Amino acid sequence: MTDVVRTGFRPSRVAIYGVLLLAALVYLIPLFIMLVTSFKTPMDIRTGNLMALPTDWTTIGWTKAWSEACTGVDCNGISGYFWNSFKMTVPAVLISTLLGAFNGYVLSKWKFKGSDLFFGMLLFGCFVPFQVVLLPMAATLGQLGLANTTTGLVLVHVIYGVAFTTLFFRNYYVAIPDALIKAARLDGAGFFTIFFRILLPMSTPIFMVSLIWQFTQIWNDFLFGVVFASGDSQPITVALNNLVNTSTGVKEYNVDMAAAMIAALPTLVVYIVAGKYFIRGLTAGSVKG
Amino acid sequence: MSQLELRGIRKTYPGAAEETLKGIDIDIASGEFLILVGPSGCGKSTLMNTIAGLESITDGAIVLNGADIAGMEPKDRDIAMVFQSYALYPTMSVRENIAFGLKIRGLPKQEIDQEVERVADLLQISQLLNKKPANLSGGQQQRVAMGRALARRPRIYLFDEPLSNLDAKLRVEMRTEIKKLHQRLKTTIVYVTHDQIEAMTLADRIAVLKDGELQQLGTPKEVYDRPENLFVAGFMGSPAMSFVPVTVEQGDNGLEAEVRGNDGRAIRLPVPEFLADRVGREVILGIRPEHITQPQDQKNDQTLVAKGEFTIEVTEPTGPDVIALIQLNDTNVHCRIDPEHPVEWGETAELMFDMKKVVFFDPETEKRIAPH
Repeated sequence: MTDVVRTGFRPSRVAIYGVLLLAALVYLIPLFIMLVTSFKTPMDIRTGNLMALPTDWTTIGWTKAWSEACTGVDCNGISGYFWNSFKMTVPAVLISTLLGAFNGYVLSKWKFKGSDLFFGMLLFGCFVPFQVVLLPMAATLGQLGLANTTTGLVLVHVIYGVAFTTLFFRNYYVAIPDALIKAARLDGAGFFTIFFRILLPMSTPIFMVSLIWQFTQIWNDFLFGVVFASGDSQPITVALNNLVNTSTGVKEYNVDMAAAMIAALPTLVVYIVAGKYFIRGLTAGSVKG
Repeated sequence: MSQLELRGIRKTYPGAAEETLKGIDIDIASGEFLILVGPSGCGKSTLMNTIAGLESITDGAIVLNGADIAGMEPKDRDIAMVFQSYALYPTMSVRENIAFGLKIRGLPKQEIDQEVERVADLLQISQLLNKKPANLSGGQQQRVAMGRALARRPRIYLFDEPLSNLDAKLRVEMRTEIKKLHQRLKTTIVYVTHDQIEAMTLADRIAVLKDGELQQLGTPKEVYDRPENLFVAGFMGSPAMSFVPVTVEQGDNGLEAEVRGNDGRAIRLPVPEFLADRVGREVILGIRPEHITQPQDQKNDQTLVAKGEFTIEVTEPTGPDVIALIQLNDTNVHCRIDPEHPVEWGETAELMFDMKKVVFFDPETEKRIAPH
């Protein structure tokens, strides 16, 4: 090992780092273009180079996107929809994650007759295409009186997400030795005490995985948002689409880019804050969590 | 002080063709240290889990202090268990681990603190109370696991191979520790192990299991000196007892059996009189390594002693002894020889057979032939 470290500067090393750097750059270019464009003036965009830095740095694109841009007929920016997305995503993420944790606990530690079959069938939920459930879901939401509401969207995302979160937690809990559960039972702990006092405190890594996964999925969802929400309850992804497609005169790329950045920021922040747990949680099985 | 009776315990797993436990009857006296021993898959862990209530039984009764507890939940049985993997709660400190069972039972905080202190003193883990299990060594985790069991002052302690995950030196230390603890606290303990040395050193009585059946129940000395059958004889003792097929013959000075080395030389071993009704028939001679030694002068005049020369095939010095391998009637036989009396492999050596403690088995039933 030490040999490899000492002879660090070799052509093969340079090649490896070169390729990695290039790949990183390729992935960063769209983000870079979005960022610089969002800070440019419309004039600058029309005359300047796509990759060039703004000649005049301005935040007008951002403020306009936030509070003045037109999404369809009303022109109040995307701020309202940004909060819509939060109101939908936070409860949907928390509820689906908690349900998944509980499901995973039962499916790994309190197996019942047919529980493996049950789990197998639940996994199908991960592969059901969104389009397939649109009509039945619309009918169901209508009957529940939840059509076009944020609550309805939360319900849709919880149902859709539980398959994934159950998979995450079940696989995480399967690796935890059964002796721990037995010891707790002998100590007098019951079904819920074991879950809340023993297993949940051990679940931080997989919790983070589930949080990031669900947050990204639900925040970025467009299809359910456009189908099951309308007007004031629409999430930001739908609003962004409306904003970009609303053409009144000149196309304001700086506003479009700023709006897109605003829409993407929360998932970026979540990943940066909890990312280290994400990697740790995904590899938990191999390194022992 | 608790007395436990296992009456006709049967257990069949759902969907399994064969019974895992085939009617186990054991009475465990108050304060007794009982060890369940047997090869893997013999049902010893299953039996322990049924006592704990972690698994149900198909038939039979588990009677603790006169009351059948077979249908009860684990938490209502007042039994504590130490697991092979220790099963410490990873997110709790040592103190919280020990206190967990007490807290759940709703003891007042002051009492819990007192109890944790008592147990920590007893096991010398006071300085570890605020640490997390992940920061402890294997031996320390083992102590904490025992502390968690002791804290509740349960009626019965169950130990499920508690020393298997420790290295050899620590295992011997903890073995002594557990024995001391038992002598001090006089608790009723059921202890599962597959290590027959652990069984011999710790137990008041040993229950040897195989394929879900109780093979023998007795003190370590009984099990070692008078094994009921070939399985028990072969399982207890290391190196294992050797089994030599011999034919009982009527000699001039009583009964004899001939054993032949691999060089063709034979000697006639004296055998006890209770084999008289088996003259002319084959029996299996069960002989332990310590029954074949270098010639010992003080034994020269004793009855049931014989000497002969045999070719040594392998020598294994263990320190206190040298284990030598010879062949008798085409079977491998271990001898235990004083290292001060050197023998070399490939050479012949004079060996002394002490037949007073050897045992004989019926080749058909594999049971020990008992003196009348």
